[in-house]
Amino acid sequence: MNIALRRARNRQMVIFLLVSAGMLVLLGRLYYWQILQAYSGYALAQQANQEHTQDIPVDASRGLIYDSQGHILATNVVRDDVYVEPHQFSVDRAANPQIDLDSLIRSIHQALPQVSVSTLQADFKLEAGAVRIAVRIDPAQSQALRNMRLRDVFLYARTWRIYPAGTLAAQIMGYVMQSDTANSGMYGLEGQYNKLLAGIPGQSLTENDLQGNPLTVGVDHQQAPVDGADLTLTIDSNVEYMVEQELAKQVRQMQAQSGAVVVLNAKTGAVVAMAGYPTYDPNHYGQASSALGCLHTEQAYFNPALYCAYEPGSTMKAVTMAAALDQGLITPDSTLQDHGCISYNDAPAVCNWQSRVYNTETMTQVLIHSANVGASYVAHDILGVDRYYPYLVRFGFGQSTGVSDGPEASGFYRQPCNHGWSPCSQKWTMSDLTRQAFGQGIVATPLQMAQAYQAIANGGVMMQPYLVSAIDQNGHTIRTQPVVKQRVISQHAAQMLTQMLTQSAYSAQSALVPGYSVAVKTGTATTQYISDTQTEASVAGFLPASNPQFVILVKIDRPQQSIYGSTAAAPLWGTIAQQLMWDYAIPPDMGQ
Amino acid sequence: MHHQRAYPQRSQKSRARRLPEQAWLARGRRRFPLLFSRIGPVTLTICSVLLISLMAVLYLYQQGQAMTTNQQIQALRNQQASLRRQNADLVNQIATEQSPAYIAAYAIKMGLKAANGHNVQVTNSSQAQNNGDQNNQP
Repeated sequence: MNIALRRARNRQMVIFLLVSAGMLVLLGRLYYWQILQAYSGYALAQQANQEHTQDIPVDASRGLIYDSQGHILATNVVRDDVYVEPHQFSVDRAANPQIDLDSLIRSIHQALPQVSVSTLQADFKLEAGAVRIAVRIDPAQSQALRNMRLRDVFLYARTWRIYPAGTLAAQIMGYVMQSDTANSGMYGLEGQYNKLLAGIPGQSLTENDLQGNPLTVGVDHQQAPVDGADLTLTIDSNVEYMVEQELAKQVRQMQAQSGAVVVLNAKTGAVVAMAGYPTYDPNHYGQASSALGCLHTEQAYFNPALYCAYEPGSTMKAVTMAAALDQGLITPDSTLQDHGCISYNDAPAVCNWQSRVYNTETMTQVLIHSANVGASYVAHDILGVDRYYPYLVRFGFGQSTGVSDGPEASGFYRQPCNHGWSPCSQKWTMSDLTRQAFGQGIVATPLQMAQAYQAIANGGVMMQPYLVSAIDQNGHTIRTQPVVKQRVISQHAAQMLTQMLTQSAYSAQSALVPGYSVAVKTGTATTQYISDTQTEASVAGFLPASNPQFVILVKIDRPQQSIYGSTAAAPLWGTIAQQLMWDYAIPPDMGQ
Repeated sequence: MHHQRAYPQRSQKSRARRLPEQAWLARGRRRFPLLFSRIGPVTLTICSVLLISLMAVLYLYQQGQAMTTNQQIQALRNQQASLRRQNADLVNQIATEQSPAYIAAYAIKMGLKAANGHNVQVTNSSQAQNNGDQNNQP
C-alpha cells in the first residue's frame, strides 16, 4: 500500500471519528431532552403546548328573568374592557418611543374621553404586561377603537347583568355582583337561584395560529356551556311600578322612615307586587351600600316584605276574631261591655286607644272601633290559651312563608311551655296573650300578614305564596302550580269575618274604592319604650269583598305627618286597590 | 389421469442456480408483471418523485383549504359573536322601552297626565243598562 493511499485512509478514519463523535454528542443531547427532560413532569412538552394551544373557559349565558306578562326584568349585555400593553409597546417601539407613545395616547383619549391623558401616561409607565384602562365602555366607543386598529391596545369582552327597568322589583330580584373572575347573585332571587341562573360554563381547547385565532386542524376539544335557566315571576311589572311609585310618594308625603307593600292574588297566593322603600338600582348596586330600609335597621338590598318584621297592631284583631268565629264561640253580633279598659287577675289591664269607651259593642263594632278591649276580651275570656295559640300556628305566624324557598324572617311570638308547643318561652305570661290579641307582643313580616288575610279572603283556605311561576331550563319548563297550604278556618267563619271587615272598612274611608266592596282592617302599632307617636301604620285587606281577587297589605314605618293606619296607610291602600281593579278590569260589585 | 402443465417445466439445473431472493422476485413478477417487469429503475424513480410531489402538492392544497376554511370559520364566529352582542343590545333596548318607568316618562313627555281616581265614576253593567233603557223611553 503506498503512502498516498494510507493517508487517504487515515483522513477517512479521522472524518469518520469526527462524524461519530458528532453523532454521539447529538444522541446525548437527544437523550437529555427527549428522555431525561421528558420524564421530569413533561414540563417542556407542556410549555410547547402552551405556546400554541389555548384553553379558554366559555361563559354560560345567565338566565333571564321575566315578569308575568313576559316583560324582561333582568337580561345580559356584552361590553368591552380596554387594556393596553406597556411592556409590548416598549419592545415594539424601541426606535422612537416618546413620539409613538404621545400619538397612541392621543388616539386612545380621542376614542375614550373619560380616560385622561395623564392616567394613560401613568399606565404606560407601569411596564406591566397588560393594564386595564377602561371598564364596560359604550358599544360606539368599542367600534371606534376597533376601527382605529391600535397596536398594543386590545378589547376584552365581558357579559354584564342589566336590569332594563332600573329600580323595578329590585328588592325581589337582588343583583349580580360582577368581578373580574366570577359573577355571583346576591340577595333576592339572583342570590337564591344563583346556581340555576348561572348555568354551567363550557371549555374550549384549541390550537392557535400566530394571531391567536383557533385552528380547525390539530387539537380541538369543545365543551359547550349550559346556559342558565330563565325565571318567570308572578310579578306584574305595571302593578309593581305603580305600587313602588305610590309607596315612595306616600313615604315621602308622610315623612316616614320606610314602607312596604304586598299584593297577593287572593285565589292562588301568587305575589302580584312586593315593594319596599327605600330601594336601590341593581344596575348601580354599589351606590346603595349605605342606604338603609326597614326603620333604618337593614340595608336597602333586603326585601322588607320578607325581612322587616313588625308588630302588626290592630290588623291582628282579624286573626283573633277568626279563631273565635271558627270555633263557634262568637258571632259577628255577640256583644261585650267595653268601658275603655279591661282588668284581669292574671294580666295587666288593657285599654283602648285613648281609653275610649264604647259600652255595649258587637264583635263587628270591635273591629270598626279597633277596640283593644274587645280583642283582648275575646282572646282571654272567650278563647283562652288552648284555643288561641293553635290558630296563630295555623295562620302561619312564627314560620317562614316559603315564598321562594329562600331565607326570610319567620317572625316571633311567645307561647306557654306547659302545653307541649314548640317553640315556647318560659317568660310567657297571660299579658302576652291579652296583648297578642290586638297585635302587640307578636312580630310578623308584611308577607305573613298578607298571607293571613289571603286565607280569610279565600274562604279560609291558605295558599302557599309564590314568586316564581315557571323555570325554563333550556326548553324544559317547570311550572309552579298553586298549592293549598291548609284550611285555616271554615268557609262560614271566613264569610262572617269578611262581612265584619267590610263593615270595618268604613272606618278607613280613604281605603274605600268606588264601586267595590272592600274588606279592610287598619293597624297603628306602637313600640314599647318609645314614644306613642312613633308608630307603624298599616292596612290589610282584600277586594272585591264579594269575590276577593287581590289581598293588599300596606305598611308605613314611623310616619310623622299622620301616625294612624287609617290616615297614613289607608290612602295608599285605596289607590293601589283602585288601580288594580282598573288594570285587571274587575267588574264592580256594588253601586256607588 | 394425466395432468398437463400450463408452462414448461424448468430443468433441475436452472432451479439449483436460482438464489432465494431471485425466487421471491420471480414470484413478485408473476403477481405484478406490469409494475415491476416493464418499468426500469430510472422511470420508477421519476414516477416516485412525481407521485410524492403530487401528494405533497395535494397535502399543501388541503392545508391551504383548511386554513382558508379556518379563516372563514373564524370570520363567521366573529360575526356570530357580533350578532349575539347586537341581539343582546336589542333585547335590552326592547326591555327598556317596555318598562313602565320608560313608558310613564314618555307619556309625561307627550303631555299625558295620570288619571285621578277620585274623578272616575264607576258604574256596573246592569246600572248602565238600566240607565240606557230609561233614556230610550219615549
